[in-house]
Amino acid sequence: MATVTVRDVVKKYGELKVIHGINLSIAEGSFVVLLGPSGCGKSTLLRMIAGLEPISEGDVLIGDRVVNDVHPKDRNIAMVFQNYALYAHMTVRENMSFALDLRKAPKDEIERKIAWAASILNLEPYLDRYPKQLSGGQRQRVAMGRAIVRNPEVFLFDEPLSNLDAKLRVQMRTEIKELHQRLKTTTIYVTHDQIEAMTMADKIVIMRNGYIEQAGSPLEVYDNPDNLFVAEFIGSPSMNLIEGRVEGGRFVSKGGTAIALPAGCKAGEGQAVVLGIRPEHTHPDPAGALEARVGVVEPTGPETHIYFELDGRDICAVTRERTGVKPGDPIRLRLDADRIHLFDQASGKAIR
Amino acid sequence: MQTSRPVQILKDILATLIVIVFMFPIFWWSLSSIKPYTAIFNKDGPVYFDFQPTLQNYEVTLLGKSRIESNLESGGTSGAGGGSSYDSRETILQSIIVAVGSTILTIVLSTLASYALSRLPMRGKQHFLFWILSQRFMPPIAAVIPIMFMFRDMALLDTLTGLIIAHTLINIPIAVLLLKSFLDDVPKEIDEAAMIDGATRLQTFRRIILPMIKGGVAATAVLCFIVSWTEFLLSLYLTTSIRTLPVKISTFVTSTGTEWGFITALGTSAIVPSFIFILLVQRHLVRGLTLGSLKD
Repeated sequence: MATVTVRDVVKKYGELKVIHGINLSIAEGSFVVLLGPSGCGKSTLLRMIAGLEPISEGDVLIGDRVVNDVHPKDRNIAMVFQNYALYAHMTVRENMSFALDLRKAPKDEIERKIAWAASILNLEPYLDRYPKQLSGGQRQRVAMGRAIVRNPEVFLFDEPLSNLDAKLRVQMRTEIKELHQRLKTTTIYVTHDQIEAMTMADKIVIMRNGYIEQAGSPLEVYDNPDNLFVAEFIGSPSMNLIEGRVEGGRFVSKGGTAIALPAGCKAGEGQAVVLGIRPEHTHPDPAGALEARVGVVEPTGPETHIYFELDGRDICAVTRERTGVKPGDPIRLRLDADRIHLFDQASGKAIR
Repeated sequence: MQTSRPVQILKDILATLIVIVFMFPIFWWSLSSIKPYTAIFNKDGPVYFDFQPTLQNYEVTLLGKSRIESNLESGGTSGAGGGSSYDSRETILQSIIVAVGSTILTIVLSTLASYALSRLPMRGKQHFLFWILSQRFMPPIAAVIPIMFMFRDMALLDTLTGLIIAHTLINIPIAVLLLKSFLDDVPKEIDEAAMIDGATRLQTFRRIILPMIKGGVAATAVLCFIVSWTEFLLSLYLTTSIRTLPVKISTFVTSTGTEWGFITALGTSAIVPSFIFILLVQRHLVRGLTLGSLKD
């Protein structure tokens, strides 16, 4: 177990800068998720921590040691790849023992560790099989087994679940989280799936275009997004955003809809802002101040997503009631005033 | 897709015909090798099965008997020529040494070279690859005289080592390109996983990558073996006392006549070692050896 510190790290491919001086500190034993759309630099950052990509500027520290020029094999890390990268010509047992063999670990220790990993991951019946004889979930577990037998200081996961089907993904998500709770090894996990990030992380680091947009606990980034990007990226269905300006202490949209702002709002008079409100804080309510017409109704079972148009933007309301509204129905809406987020239109930054 | 019955029958007939067309020369070759002299040279037309089979051609080429000895044993009449110049036992041994030696050398050098070309960063890699391929553009006949002089200066003329080196040089370009394509199919994450597991480059190559492309290595080895086994031109120029099979066979065309019996017998025998070699490696020639290391 160790802390991981990323200090002013820059990654350049020739002239092209893909990571722009990132700072990040990861506490011992925590589970950190690097989240972002593809091309945001999250995998590159992970690979720099792993030592698979050279660092152009800045330092990466594992524990107290700067590892910039340390070979991956000497960093005492383990990595699980998106495509598992199992050794096809080796059995499950051999796949897991490879690293220990290279270290010339004693035979009985290898046996013991493999038995231990296999029991944690339910791989006991498959130890003598080859990867091609296993299902996707089992291969994923072998890749994890290969990582845990080495008892590394840091686990690195590079989108490990994206090749699994939906049901298995949910199951493996729980298994990885359980594994972490059991081993308490510092874990860095890369994904573009915000549900994975929300459910697994102690800390989510949201990245875009080589910058960190926000880092914090899942509920922190969900409840208090720092900027428009984070507000839109986290949450499904995503946050409703309406453009407008502040007039007389109220928000007035481009189409003229007025919405009362919570007391103590720091937006200046006349400031061009974007109002954000999560679908679950948008309620169909006959006494509501907003009026709209229902576009699409999506029942998911536990809740119903009702889409409607407001000033030319699609807005979503989530309700657990059985409202029985149909497309075309007029509907009145109420917004939870204390859940309204305001963002500066020009900079995208939250106004708090 | 389900094909209808008549279509399937038609396909089978066509396939059979094609196989017959391609197999016929081999069949005719081996048939001629057990024909007596009179059946090979029949003025009335080709003889198919209407002859007394004889092993005389094999006895002379493979057992080193003179034709007279062979004839006396089987009670036949003596033909022209005769003597131990048709004894090909040493030739076969030398051919095997050259083919196996050059195949091993080619594979050792090419796997390492292609791994480097597939994995390591290198300035102008594309140009280098093209240059490797371009080594095969020139017909060997254009280079054979300079090669001969170089081999003479290095005292490699008429040595097995020289011939092994020469055949390795012919095979390396194709082997490198072929192996590189197999290596390119192995995802680089495998190397990275091995590296993180604590393996050095060489350990990664030897213990992880090489076993994963053994199908490709086997296929390449077969190709190299066959090229060396059938190579004529360089063998002819670079050797005098050492004779590989194709060169030896060419000497059976003599000023007093062409020894079709010996040519076909030795030719048929020449199929056997390459056949055995292919049998040995063919179980590795299965596609999808990397199956299972990846997602699906």
